[in-house]
Amino acid sequence: MIYDTAIIGGGIMGCGSALRLAQGGQRVIVLDQGDLGQGASGVNAGTLSLQIKRVKLMPYALKGHACWEAMGKAVGFAKTGGYTLAFNAREAALLQERQTLKAQAGAPIEFVSNNQLRNGEPNLTQQVVSASYCAEDGYANASLTGQYYLGKLRDAGIEYRERCEVTAIERDKNFKLTTPQGTINATRILLAAGAWLKPLAALMDVHLPVQARVNTVTVTERMPPLMSTVIGHATGLLTMKQKANGTLLIGGGWQGLGTPQEGRGRVSVDTVRPNLALAQYAVPALGTARILRSWTGFEANVPDFYPLAGVLPGVEGAYVLGCVRGGYTIGPYISQLMGDYILGREPELPLFDPGRDFKEGTI
Amino acid sequence: MIRLVPNHALKIVRSAPVVFTFDGQSVEGHAGENLAGALLRAGRLHLRNAPANGGPRGAFCCMGLCQECTVRIDGQVVEACRTEVTQGLAVERAG
Ligand SMILES: Cc1cc2nc3c(=O)[nH]c(=O)nc-3n(C[C@H](O)[C@H](O)[C@H](O)COP(=O)(O)OP(=O)(O)OC[C@H]3O[C@@H](n4cnc5c(N)ncnc54)[C@H](O)[C@@H]3O)c2cc1C
Ligand code: FES
Repeated sequence: MIYDTAIIGGGIMGCGSALRLAQGGQRVIVLDQGDLGQGASGVNAGTLSLQIKRVKLMPYALKGHACWEAMGKAVGFAKTGGYTLAFNAREAALLQERQTLKAQAGAPIEFVSNNQLRNGEPNLTQQVVSASYCAEDGYANASLTGQYYLGKLRDAGIEYRERCEVTAIERDKNFKLTTPQGTINATRILLAAGAWLKPLAALMDVHLPVQARVNTVTVTERMPPLMSTVIGHATGLLTMKQKANGTLLIGGGWQGLGTPQEGRGRVSVDTVRPNLALAQYAVPALGTARILRSWTGFEANVPDFYPLAGVLPGVEGAYVLGCVRGGYTIGPYISQLMGDYILGREPELPLFDPGRDFKEGTI
Repeated sequence: MIRLVPNHALKIVRSAPVVFTFDGQSVEGHAGENLAGALLRAGRLHLRNAPANGGPRGAFCCMGLCQECTVRIDGQVVEACRTEVTQGLAVERAG
């Protein structure tokens, strides 16, 4: 059995690409070292916010939002709108500068008056100096990602193997992947291993300058209704939303400890504390909230913080997709583009050459 | 009636009986026993009100996860299912 494409990594990038490839008539298989969707795609904060997307990724994020809306209930999608807050003049200037650029890039972001903000979110602190609003913002439930894509793969008749780590890759006429469940043969491979891309590419002596960040998310006990939208901070150091069950999910990219190679990361009290302090500053009523749990996940990036999406440099038939900033938001869309590219079709929006010179800022 | 299995209840060795209070009312328990269990045995199922709609809530998961059993002890909100009973323990409704 020789698959048309073997996909290594069953996160949102790998699963999304698999669906597109199968639609295009390919016989594909998805391999994951753990369970599907239990990497970054399963533990992230689930924020779908155009206000925290990079300007050049805005067209991808807009399309991503449309994908999430279409997935709807099955992924816990909610379009709530979202505010980004500035608490002093410096933050207000930062907010003005950043959100203006994002609005120019096509995101429906507007600046709102104090009154509008108070009406929208009455429990916010009085200390807000300026705020932006985006009606497109919202969230989905990351813990449903794996379950959702598993169902989709099954419906599409796509093979997948869990607990199936790829430990060696050989290439003669085809690719031969060594796994605990035997050798997998495929004409092409797609590396979609998230924060594990670097060691995976190294199996083929390709150096990808991938670094892993250890992002932290915290969930509180159930609280009375405190907010109805997604709340962020001008610096990006806070994202917060209240779920239908009353719990609040608090993130903002604060760093925990550990590396992907060592297994699960660890929470650092030193970074959770300022994260929660900022949340509590924004919504004072959070002062009485108890924390149920904090956890970490690994998010990959390269030095210029743009995606890797294209041909693996120097290896014909090998592709890579990962390192997407806001990859949960953009994942369902950019994985379609990747699928199209592998199918030999022209992607609707350009991809991001993994062989570029990262230092030169060639994007 | 014939008992087909041995009556294990008779084999339970209880620790010393103690008295604690729940919302000011005396409740009997045993030293070191689980607080949610002691309250359950005393028929005190309603431990708190749901934050969103005020509905009655009580121990559900009994393993420290659901937070439906939270009570206030010494000003701290704690899970009854993860607290041990002691003599004179003053337990209040959390809210
Ligand atoms: C804590 C946290 C919060 C975040 N919050 C947000 C947010 O709010 N909004 C947003 O848009 N984005 C967010 N992100 C980013 C987003 O989660 C990621 O960009 C996205 O999920 C990456 O998807 P992926 O498929 O590339 O990686 P992953 O989901 O990590 O998938 C990679 C998979 O590859 C598997 N794998 C690795 N090596 C091998 C191997 N050798 N063999 C087989 N399988 C292998 C892994 O087991 C894993 O399942 C957050 C990330 C984190 C970590
Ligand atoms: S019963 Fe669930 S936390 Fe105590």
